[in-house]
This record gives sequence, structure tokens and C-alpha cells, in this order.
Amino acid sequence: MSSFLDRAHTIAPPGYNRFMVPPAALAVHLSIGQAYAFSTFNLPLTKLIGITKSAPDDWTLNQVIWIFSIAIAFLGASAAVFGRWVETAGPRKAMFTAALCFSGGFLISAVGIHLHQLWLLYLGYGALGGCGLGIGYISPVSTLIKWFPDRPGMATGMAIMGFGGGALIAAPLSVYLMSFFATATSVGVLETFITMGVLYFIFMMIGVYAVRVPAPGWKPEGWVAPVEPKKLVTTANVHVDVAWTTPQFWLLWAVLCMNVTAGIGVLGQASPMIQEMFGSRVTAATAGGFVGLLSIFNMAGRFFWASTSDYLGRRNTYMVFFLLGIALYALVPTTGQIGSITLFVAAFAIILSMYGGGFATIPAYLRDVFGTMHVGAIHGRLLTAWSVAGVLGPILVTYIRQYQIDSGVPKAQAYSVTMYIMCALLLVGFLCNLAMRAVSERYHHREPVPVRA
Amino acid sequence: MTARLFVLWVAVGIPLLWGVEKTLENALKLFQ
Repeated sequence: MSSFLDRAHTIAPPGYNRFMVPPAALAVHLSIGQAYAFSTFNLPLTKLIGITKSAPDDWTLNQVIWIFSIAIAFLGASAAVFGRWVETAGPRKAMFTAALCFSGGFLISAVGIHLHQLWLLYLGYGALGGCGLGIGYISPVSTLIKWFPDRPGMATGMAIMGFGGGALIAAPLSVYLMSFFATATSVGVLETFITMGVLYFIFMMIGVYAVRVPAPGWKPEGWVAPVEPKKLVTTANVHVDVAWTTPQFWLLWAVLCMNVTAGIGVLGQASPMIQEMFGSRVTAATAGGFVGLLSIFNMAGRFFWASTSDYLGRRNTYMVFFLLGIALYALVPTTGQIGSITLFVAAFAIILSMYGGGFATIPAYLRDVFGTMHVGAIHGRLLTAWSVAGVLGPILVTYIRQYQIDSGVPKAQAYSVTMYIMCALLLVGFLCNLAMRAVSERYHHREPVPVRA
Repeated sequence: MTARLFVLWVAVGIPLLWGVEKTLENALKLFQ
């Protein structure tokens, strides 16, 4: 088994079609993208004993929401810690490990539900599942970049699009499975967790089976590396341990953090926001539709913007994110004042497409700046920006809204200040992106790059 | 190789399209 998983046994034979790799990556990302739909389990998990309503011994919502938060924290941490291992072990072993962790997380959580021990859910889905998310997220990135040196943005965009799309599958699937397994004595979550653990393991095995790394020195037929690369694009490599001592790493860290903070806060508050800004014109059901629409734009933006960045350049693409983002966030309070739901929805659809686009474009940006040698590991460390943004974004949106309401501002206008703060965050991101320069030669890796596919 | 490529894309494409369809169905309520 170990030899099947080894990097040496995943080298593509001659004639291998490189377009086999994106669906392999998608199989993993579509699975782990389930994390974005975990909230569908929150309420049922608070009714495990009471079934129709929470009993006194049931877990509270405040206890349950920590499962997702722990998973996201472990995503960032494991991507940072295991990034180098993923590079050396190869994508197949990394994907297999991710599948074991992610599915194992579901199964341990199912045991936790059976025994009604919440710590087992924190440990299972939160810690172990979170490691599966982190390792799975970065596992195909460097492989895709090596297979598609001519279109790195498009290739990584395709995979990371899966992480956005995973929620679109998991949300209706979870609801369907819970209703299928629900009985008079069970809300059906335990059985749903077991089923999803098994299903996702099988689905991720598609990726494990199909993924291949290119043979050393492989290039797409007829493709020649540009003789005069663009200003920020390097042909050299920077070691992962050196990369994070460069100003460029921290500038890109801030770029990602600001872009994600602005988007993630809105994503979490989208439903109450549209209802409060437009009052009785928007019901809970239509607000749910709005959230679904944002998820689609979040997913589509990942592919669209990352592919566009192959033509526009990475820095220019982020310039668009920040400048257009500032304009749109500044417009949002006006859409509320004039009562235009269409404009409001359009603004947030574009904002969320750029939120997803930011995630999908960053691996190619890292490859441009630090080379391909350790791009996966560097990407893993950069994802700590996501963990920070995951805390910062929702706190900013919810606390500022509450402060505004406590200060006597009507609910419909309680988000205006938040929107202007988002503009300020995007301005910081814009300035960091503007400051990006090529990495100094003194940081370049001097020793020969290990011959690894 | 081509058949395997087709099967692979179908295997990931069908669940994704199903998810998009279900989400769009829900999202359309916004415009009703």
C-alpha cells in the first residue's frame, strides 16, 4: 500500500493527459468544501436528546458552533505545519492522509454523538477533520502548478473552485440524509455523519487514484518558458524556510488576510444583513436564496478570476479586487437607502466572486514570486492568514453592528459603518499589493533543486 | 486514456452540477 502512495509511484507515464489532474484535485476539494456547509448540523446537534426541541441536557448552540471554528483553526495550522511534508510525500500520499483524517473526523464525531460527548466532536470533526481540511487543501496545489506552467492560475482555480462548490453539494445532501434517517427517536445526524464519512472517503479516493506528478523536466508540448518573464515572475526558487523571512511573504499574507476578512464577515452575516437592510421585503426564505447565490458566485469567482489572472497578471488581478471592492462596499449603504435589492445583490455577488478569486489566485501569485520548488509549503504557511481573517471578519461585522444598534442607529443602517471599515481594510490590502516587488536575489535558493517530479 | 478522462470529469461534474442546481433552485426565491 505504501508503495502505491509514494511519490515515486505517481510519476506520470508518457502520454498521460494532464487534464486528469484537475478532476483528481476537484474530488478532494469538493469533499473538504463540505466544511462550509457544517452549519446545517448546528441546530440538529442541539436537539439530539429532545428531538423536536432542545432538552435541558442537550448541547447549546454556543457549544456546537465551536466544532466549525476548531476545524478552521486546524485547517490553517495543519496547512502551515504539514506543508513541507506534503511537498516531499507527494500528492497521492497527502490526499490519502487527508481522506483518512477528514472521514475519520466524521466517524469519531458519530461516536461522540452516540455517547453524547461533545469533546469527541471537537476532537473528531474539529481537530482531526480540520487536519484533513488543511492537508487536503494544499495537497494538489503544487502538482497542478507543475502540470500547468502555462496556465497556473486556471489550474489552481479549478481545484480551489471545488472548495467553494463543496458546500453547494454538502448543504442539500446533509439536509436530505438527515431527513432520510430521522425517526421519532433520532434527528438522523449520527447516521448522516457515518454515511458522509464513508461517502467522502470513497469520493476522495478518486483523487488518490487519478493524481499523477509530471516526470522531472516535463513541459507541455510546444510550450517554451518566456525568455523575458514579467517583472514579478521569477525563474528562481525560494526555500520555504527563507520565504517567510522575506517582506514579500508578509505583504502577500496581508493581501490575503484583508481580502478574506472583507468577504468572510459578509458571508457569515449575509442572511440577517439583507433582512435587516430591506425589512419586510425580504423573508428568511429569500434571504436563504441570497446566501445560496453568494455561494455560487464565491465558487465561480475562484475559476473566473484565477484564470483571468493568467492574462492580467497576479498583481493587477488583486488591484482589481481591492479597487472594485472598495467601490462596491462604499456603494452598499446607498443601495439600502434607495431600497434597491437588485443593486445590493449584484454588489455582493461581485464582492463574493472576488473573495473566492482571492483564494484561488494566491497559489499562482506565490509561484510567480517564490518559484515552484516549495510553492505548496509556502502556500500552507500563508493560509494562516485565513485563520486570522476567519476570526477577524465575523467579529468586525457582528460587533460593529451591535455597537451601532446599541448606540441607537436603526437596524437598516447598522451596517453602513461596517462597510466603510471593509473599504479601509481593502485599502490596506491595496497598499500591500502595491508594495510588492520581486524577491531579492539574496533569498534565492543556491543549491541544486532536488530532482523531484 | 480519453475514456478514463471522460469518466473522471463526469464523476466530479455530476455532484457539482447537482449542488449548483439545488442552490440555484433556492436562490431563485430571491427574485420571485
